[in-house]
This record gives sequence, C-alpha cells and structure tokens, in this order.
Amino acid sequence: MTAATVVRFVRTRREATVLAMLILVFIGLTFASEFFLTGRNLSNVSRQISVVGIVALGQALVIIAGGIDLSVGSVIGLSAVTSAIVSATTGMPSLGIAGAIGIGMAIGFANGVLITKLRINPFITTLGTLSIARGAALLITNGNPQRFDNWAAFLGYGKIGDVPVQFILLVVLTILVWLFATRTRWGRNVYAVGDNARAARLAGIDVARTRILVFTVSGSLAGLGGLLLGGMLTNANPNLGLGYELDVIAAVILGGVALSGGRGSIGGVVIGAALIGLLRNAFVLLNVSGYWQTITIGLVVILAVGADSLNRRSEED
Amino acid sequence: MTDCLLSARGIAKSFDQNRVLHGVDFDISAGQVVALLGENGAGKSTFVNILSGALPRDGGTIRWAGAETVFRDTRAALDAGIIHIHQELSLISSLSVMENLFIGDYMTGKSGLIDRKALAAKARELLARVGAAHIDPRVEAGSLSTAEQQIVEIAKALARNARLLILDEPTASLTPHEAEALFAIVRDLRANGVAIIFISHRFDEVFMISDRVVVLRDGRVVGDRPVAETTRAGIIADMTGRAFTFDALDAPDIAADAPIRLKAEAIADKGRVGPVSFTLRKGEILGIFGLVGAGRTELLELLCGIRPLAAGTISRPDGVVPANSTEAWRSGLALLPEGRKTNGILPSLSLAENVAVAKRQKSGGILDLGAEKSLFAKFRDALGIVSEGPDQPIRRLSGGNQQKVIFARCLASEPDILFLDEPTHGVDVRTKADIYKQIQDLAKKGMSVIFVSSELPEVLALASTVMVLSRGRQTLLAPNQGMTENDVLTAAFAQA
Repeated sequence: MTAATVVRFVRTRREATVLAMLILVFIGLTFASEFFLTGRNLSNVSRQISVVGIVALGQALVIIAGGIDLSVGSVIGLSAVTSAIVSATTGMPSLGIAGAIGIGMAIGFANGVLITKLRINPFITTLGTLSIARGAALLITNGNPQRFDNWAAFLGYGKIGDVPVQFILLVVLTILVWLFATRTRWGRNVYAVGDNARAARLAGIDVARTRILVFTVSGSLAGLGGLLLGGMLTNANPNLGLGYELDVIAAVILGGVALSGGRGSIGGVVIGAALIGLLRNAFVLLNVSGYWQTITIGLVVILAVGADSLNRRSEED
Repeated sequence: MTDCLLSARGIAKSFDQNRVLHGVDFDISAGQVVALLGENGAGKSTFVNILSGALPRDGGTIRWAGAETVFRDTRAALDAGIIHIHQELSLISSLSVMENLFIGDYMTGKSGLIDRKALAAKARELLARVGAAHIDPRVEAGSLSTAEQQIVEIAKALARNARLLILDEPTASLTPHEAEALFAIVRDLRANGVAIIFISHRFDEVFMISDRVVVLRDGRVVGDRPVAETTRAGIIADMTGRAFTFDALDAPDIAADAPIRLKAEAIADKGRVGPVSFTLRKGEILGIFGLVGAGRTELLELLCGIRPLAAGTISRPDGVVPANSTEAWRSGLALLPEGRKTNGILPSLSLAENVAVAKRQKSGGILDLGAEKSLFAKFRDALGIVSEGPDQPIRRLSGGNQQKVIFARCLASEPDILFLDEPTHGVDVRTKADIYKQIQDLAKKGMSVIFVSSELPEVLALASTVMVLSRGRQTLLAPNQGMTENDVLTAAFAQA
C-alpha cells in the first residue's frame, strides 16, 4: 500500500474517517481521565458498545438491502420482558433465551412479510411494529418491571475474566455477519438488492426472500439485544430500549453504510457503534451533562456524513 | 421562406463521440402540421429536444419568428411559445386539473391566496377550447384517462399561448376513437395559426392530418415533401436506406430436425402482447422486430416467467416453465434486459460481482471469490471489456463496456436459451460488431438466442428466423432467407 492509496482510502471510505475519530477520542480520553484506561471502565465501555453493536449488525443488513428497521428499540423491550416472564413461569432460563430471540425473530419476519407481500413501505411497516411491540411489552407486564436474575441473565451481566460475555458475543457475531455479508451468496444478494432491486430481480435474485431474511436477522439480533440489556440490569423493564433505534441507525450510518442501500461494510458498523459508546463514556468520565452527550452524537453523525458526502462529490465531479 | 415561424439550419449534435444529428434543416410556418418520421434512433427526439431548449446544440442556427435565437433552456422556449408534449405525459397526478393547467402561475390575488373560483372558470374556458368541456377542472389529474390527460396537456399548452406545439407520438396509447378526437383538436389549432410538429409511427395518421412529411435517417433529413406527393412506400424507402451496411453475416441454417428448445403456443399476457406462437430450435437465432410499444419486452418477460401468462402454453424439453426470474435462470434461461442503467447494472457492485451474480443463484451458498475473479478475467478477454480490474464498480465504466459486462453475466450462467432485449441499444459501432460476432458464435455452438431489436438491419443481419410484432400481435414469423426490409416494415405497421 502506497501512501497515495492510504490517503485515497481515508478520503473515500467513511468508516476510515470514523475510525480516525474513534482513535482521536480514545487517545484524548487516555490523557483527559485517569479512570479511562482502568479495566473496570473499559469493561463498562465494551458493554455499552455491545448491545448497540449487535443490534446494529442486523440493522446494517436491512439498510444495505435498501430498507430501514425502526422497530428494534421496541423489540428490545418486548424480548427482555418475554425472556424474564418465560424463564420465571417455566423455571427454564434456556426457554427464556429462546423466547427472547424467538419473539424478535417473529417480529422481524412479520416486518419482512408485510414489506414484501403487502408492499408496505419499510419505514411505515416498522413504525407500526415499533408501536405494537412496545404496547405488547407494556400489556403483558401491566407496565411493571420484571425480575430477571437467573442464568439466562448471565449473558448480559456476566464476565469471563475481565471481559463481559456480551462483548464476546459481539465479536463472534461480527465475524459471523461479516462472513455472511462478504462470502455467501445470500449476503451478496443483500447488497445487490439494495443497489438496484429491479436489476437484481432480473438477474435471478429472489428479492422478496432476501428482504424477509434481513428483517428476520435484524429482529432476531434485536431480540438478543433485549435479553442482554435486561440481563445486564437484572431487571426487564417494558420500557427498555426506548429510542434505541436512533443510536443503532446512527452507528450504522457512521459506519459508512449508505442509507440509499447497496453500500457499507460490517466492520465499519462496529466502528460506528464503538464511537457512540466511547462518546457516551467520555461524558460520564469528564462529568459533562448528559444533555450535551445527546447533542454531540447528533453533531458527530452530521459531521461524519457531511464530510463523506463532500469527499464523494469532489471525487465524482 | 420569409413567413416561416421557425427555421432551423444545419443543426448538429453529438453525444460523446457519437454524432446524432448531421446538419438538419427544418422549416415550419404558422398553421402548418409537419410530420417528423424516422426509425428509432434516427434523431427525431434529439432534434425536437433541441428545438424545445431541452438540449443544447453543437452547431447550426435557429430563427424564431424572423429573429435568430438561442433557447438556453426549456423555460426560454416555453416563454417564446414552443411547447413540447412528451410521450410520457407530465401532468402531476395528485394535483387537480386546473392546478396543472396553470402550474407556476396560479393568478393569486392581492391576498396572495389562490382564487379557486377564478382558476376553475379560466380552466373551463381552456378545456372548452380543446373540446373537453366535460372534464371537471377540480378533479385530480391522475383520475383522468390517458386520452383526457393528453387533452389537458394540450389545454395547458394553450394556457401558455403556444405558437409551436411538438407532439411526440401522441396517439401511442389512445384508442382510434380517442385519436380521432385528438386530431379534431389539432385541426382546430392549425386553423388558429398554431404550428405543429407531429411525431408518429402510424402512417395512416400522418396522411390524415399533416401538411408536410419530413423523414430523418441517421441524423440527416432524407425526405421533405408535401403530403400530397408522398406515398407509404416512399416513406419506408426514405426511412430504411442504409447508412452503413452490415457484413452479410451468414445466418446459420437450422435443420428441420434440430432439437426443439422451446415451444410457445398462442401465449398472451393481460392485454399488452399476444397471441404469439413459435418454435425455437437448438442453434436458432430468433430476431423480434417491432416499434416501441409493440409488446416486444413484454413477450420476453412472458417467456422468462417475469410477466404472468394469461393464455397459451410454453413447453420445453425438460418441462420447466419458470414462474419467476430466479427459476428462469436456474432452468437455463438468461436475460439481458432492456435499459442497462435501470434494469441491468448493479451500479455500486464490482465488475466481478456483476458478472457472477446470476450464476451464483444456481450454486451453493458459499462463494469462491477467487473463481469469480477468474470468471471475470475470462470474459474480459473474450469480450474485450476495458476496465481497471475486477473490483472496479461497474458505474464507472462506459455504456458499451457495461453492456458487455451484462452480456458476460448472461453467458457466465451457461444458458440454453439467451434472451437479449435491445442488446446494442446505446452502444458504439465497434461494440455492436463485437456483440454480433459473439451471438453468432454462440449459436454455432448450439445456444439458442431470442433477441429484440428496433434496428431493422440488425435483425436482418443476425436472425435465422424473424418475428414481427405490431401492437402486441404477431404479424410475421418466417425464415430470414430472402426477407427484405420492406416485408418487415409492412408487417410492423400492419393493423393486426
């Protein structure tokens, strides 16, 4: 790799810009706070990254395929309470895990079917299921948080050594989704469908099945996210994951995925999730108001995408 | 001509290296209807787009109402009174008819609000002038029939004080009765001094309403006569006289006992095409000719399972009749669709992926990316694809090279039957020659090919069997031997 190709890479790939930001924030925090590099804090940060990252993996596939999934935040809430209730009533935590992922999978599948068979726009479909899933979570719990402290919750709160179990899950899932997206026919079909759905169909790709698949994956991963988040708090609140879809979509966009579909890398998405997690941690460590945190994340998204779009324009002209 | 409303001299235009217009001279006076004819690609659209300011010209002059003029954009031409009504109508379907009529100039009063009553009254007046008093100006434009929308477009032109009206195939989607009503309006406008350029593929209409007939071929005016001195045969001769001859490619003879690959019996969809019947044998090249809108693409879609079959039967030796495009490719069909940009390329994906995408759908789930790159290299050499390498996104390639990549996609799936929809549309002469040679070589090796083309010489040079469609009907199916352009065009214009 010559210096010129490195410059070209940084200039043309949004994930490179975001990786640079991530490194800057990391170095900055190392100097700004003595607590940053402690095992305890890094373990906290990695937890914060994990759920957003895992859910963003599914969201990335949906957006690459040209869709969007707004229902993930609500699915987190519903799957957390489902998992708590199922494991409490059956006494079998393994069923609780299955229930959390299963309910997410079912909602994702339903999203996919509504979008492809009834041809409802993905934004509207998932806006609808966002509301339905949240309502269902409140309904079955009567609005009350559920105790969730059996071994299924361990996936959320547990650690192996100093490393949170959920972070290990994030790493494993990232590798799996990356392999799926780059090395399998179905993964590449996701890109083709998002790039030009009509051409993809005429080239023999089953577009409907591809779309159903990505929404099902997104729902399942959001279900897992709910399990982890509930487990981490050892308490499944029906309002868990409220507004989470925005962080997840921000991570995906920061990671270089084009909202218009067809473009994006799985590695970039994890970098995007890491930047968001690190920024949140920074405000805690530096003792800045949480309100600034929200504003800053918004600014970072606009900055990263804006810089990228300027670069792209100068390249295309 | 001193009383000319518009007089164009030496209009020239090129796209990239491709010269589309070579010095076109054209005159039209107030109150005259001039028919502009020519094969697809002869330069009609480019020429009228220059007149209406939609395209800049490379050379030549335009005198408008006696003064030399340059229309920088359509706005300037509109203000001068040149109005181009496109084949695809441009009404905004969610707005009311009256809003469409006065779009951009709602005649707001002092209050700044739109006076809906006044607007409706003006709209009624305009609609009455085009004999469409029955249209309620308050209904949504989208709720009107195509014919009514066409009339509203003309009323809209009147609202802008049209002096020159360009009608691009206005009757393509009208019934004969609706077309008759449209012509009544055209005659009325002519009587009121409006000049009209009328583009059509239907000769009967041309003879019915025009005063003069101008024929373009390969960007040059090859005929300009009063309608009284014009015959149908004369126009066809003008339209087809060849610009460059194809090498007499020897279309392969198909033995009568060659194995049958596909048999269609009276197949039809819901109203756009059919009934069509033919038999396709191993190594046969079936060329399908027809004018735009004749149902050619629809026929290919029927055969590939993309468009549902409403009547008739398709049979193949293996018994598979695909219900969708995935099954079609898996069962040994391959389709190069019309419209490279919208239907062909996967713009952000690499060249290697664009080639491999269809073949993948037949294989297992795990991809061999190295093998896909070699596959691309193989076709790059065979077809002469000029690129920076297998990882380059296809959108950065020229049109001709993109077309070769899509062609490679078809070949990579190793089909028994290759369907090509306008395979040489918008590609340069060299690429055309490359593609022709490929098609012939493939047929010699036993592949069957069905291709659609609106270029007549291409069909006659390449096909072993020729089919002609006219308004969805099959009007000719015969071996190519001894067939003339006249035979084909006569069938294409036939009122089946």
